[in-house]
Amino acid sequence: MLKVKTWARCGVLAAATLLSSAALAEETVVWWDFLAGGDGVRMKKMISDFNEEHAGKIKIDATTLEWGVPFYAKVQTSVAVGEAPDIMTYHASRIPLAVQQNLLSEITADDWQTMGLGEDDFAPSIWNAVSVDDKTYAVPIDTHPIVLYYNKDVLEAAGLLDENGNPKGLDSREGFTSTLRALKEAGSVKFPLASVTADGNFMFRTIYSLMGQQDGELMTDGEFLAGDNAGKLENALSVLQEWTNEGLQSTYTDYPATVALFTSGEAGMMINGVWEVPTMTDLRKDGKLFEWGAVELPVIFDHPATYSDSHAFAIPTGKDMSPEKRAAVLEVMSWISEHSLFWATAGHIPANRNITDSAGYKAMEPNATYSSLTANMIYDPKTPLAGVAGPIFDVMSTYFVPTLNGEMEPEEAVEEITYELNDLQ
Amino acid sequence: MIRNRKKEALVALVLIAPFAATYGLVFVYPTIDMFVLSFQKAPLIGEGRWLGVDNYTRLPGDRRFHTALWNTAYFVLLSVVPGTLVALGISLGVSRLSGRLQALVLALFFLPYILPVSVVFRIWDWTLNFQFGIAMHIFDLVGIDRIPIFKVTDWFMPAVAVITIWWTAGFSILLFLAGLRAIPQEIYEAASLDNAGTWTTFRRVTWPLLWPVTALVLTIQLILQLKIFDQVYLFSQGGRPNDNLVMVYYIFQRAFVNNDGGRAAAIAVVLFIMVIVISVLNFQLMRFSERRS
Repeated sequence: MLKVKTWARCGVLAAATLLSSAALAEETVVWWDFLAGGDGVRMKKMISDFNEEHAGKIKIDATTLEWGVPFYAKVQTSVAVGEAPDIMTYHASRIPLAVQQNLLSEITADDWQTMGLGEDDFAPSIWNAVSVDDKTYAVPIDTHPIVLYYNKDVLEAAGLLDENGNPKGLDSREGFTSTLRALKEAGSVKFPLASVTADGNFMFRTIYSLMGQQDGELMTDGEFLAGDNAGKLENALSVLQEWTNEGLQSTYTDYPATVALFTSGEAGMMINGVWEVPTMTDLRKDGKLFEWGAVELPVIFDHPATYSDSHAFAIPTGKDMSPEKRAAVLEVMSWISEHSLFWATAGHIPANRNITDSAGYKAMEPNATYSSLTANMIYDPKTPLAGVAGPIFDVMSTYFVPTLNGEMEPEEAVEEITYELNDLQ
Repeated sequence: MIRNRKKEALVALVLIAPFAATYGLVFVYPTIDMFVLSFQKAPLIGEGRWLGVDNYTRLPGDRRFHTALWNTAYFVLLSVVPGTLVALGISLGVSRLSGRLQALVLALFFLPYILPVSVVFRIWDWTLNFQFGIAMHIFDLVGIDRIPIFKVTDWFMPAVAVITIWWTAGFSILLFLAGLRAIPQEIYEAASLDNAGTWTTFRRVTWPLLWPVTALVLTIQLILQLKIFDQVYLFSQGGRPNDNLVMVYYIFQRAFVNNDGGRAAAIAVVLFIMVIVISVLNFQLMRFSERRS
């Protein structure tokens, strides 16, 4: 009997010690992200800066996971079994799906107040992207559109730069195609344009941008590619196929090869996400890259438009979070948002307006050159079927690859896409 | 000694219980659940609602299901029999060697088998990448047009089949070698006394005596290749996965990409039944041919 009592007493003591130490100890915030490129290096730097500044109070315990389907599948399963992180990066385009799956904890008005942030600190399109039915589910960090990268040395030698040092012919389909043709004739590169033609998932961004330039919409009143939207998609595909047929862009090229074609000087230009800016900056710093630049996508159709998505921070559901822990998570979000000027060196455009309005940001290159495009950004349609690595991406990509490499006519591709998209519902 | 049957039964039960419980928990229960799920409209995780046979009836009209079914069959055709023949050929060659040389050659053929699939993918991507692959530079030298092997559908499955054979032949070779060693030397001596040539010896002695091993290798290969996923998944990364779909890949896609547990389960059930039917048929066929010989 005595023994049992002693044991029990020990247990109570141990529990008490644990509890009291937990109250005193620093709050550990478990963090998941999918940032594995040059931007990941910069995010790790921000995390270590945060940890240093909050030593003894908050500590971020970060893990980087595989981008895309693996990341989102893991989030889903971890929430289901109550093993989700405290904070995670999320694509704004996937928020409608996440809300339907009940994966995200709402960011309440109180939370925003605690963070010292609010609707006014973000562009309306970004704020809208993280909201579903007037509730917000994530704190936007950035927007990351695609841009046109170009090799200044090669273009200059071919006489294809204007007085501002930008490529010629950015204002029309004819103009840009003739720039590509001139580059081909100059013979200094293997391909005028490096394009991710083997990966339809990636090409969604380019093609959706070209649709946006004609005011095309993917989804209207719950129907896909209704009315003349199908024709607009066909137009977009035709331009790209024309470039392939004339040998103006690389064919069957996957993502890493596209970047390699550009950085090795084998391709004169490249359409890619701003997240490759750090790759170029770092190579250039080591003296391994030519003189380069990045500008807003050329206007192939009626007016400028660029597809964009946002990285955001979200809090998963399915966990009983103590108020202290939630406060720590909010502090992380607000700190990163406030310090996102450094995040801009990763190429992304910070979501926080106070940062993009600052003199420091306005002096940053090449960001300042392409940040004008924020006025022309278009986002994914707001449906649970949208989002990176989501069902719409998947269906469209199936038909993009054969079309862009000349195996299938744009007209047929559009028919197939329309059929399959409507079959998704 | 009088045996206490009751006690024995109890002991047996206790001994079996951990296995039975584990087996029930991680195999029987999920299998039953999969069948139930296939009749529901359900997300990957969470409650579904009863739907009836809809998930099945829409399969015949489902293009991706057709692609997956066809690709799986095509892959099995390209890999099972050719893979077995290649392994048989190599093991016949290796068995003629002896001592360290045999060990060395065997090790060389077995080496790919110990590689993880991700490494296999990396090696072959370095070799056959359309823009930067080593083989493409050789193509350029010889003057052949470059082929985007993993990016066009005509080349994809044959290429993956060849790589799979290269990768997995090592294990079959070991099985064949063991089988060859089990054939008594006296039979070969008798054959040579009867003036049997190499081909006759192979046809009349080696092949029939090796048949049980061949049947085993074929069965293992068949079941394995019906369930192909890893190679197809990796080689279609950044390419065109939907044109290269195989059954398991399609299940993965419906479940994890489209969050549609019900449809995924229906496809899984179809694959499950396919594997069972084909294995049983295969087994009966082997038994039949064994009895005849």
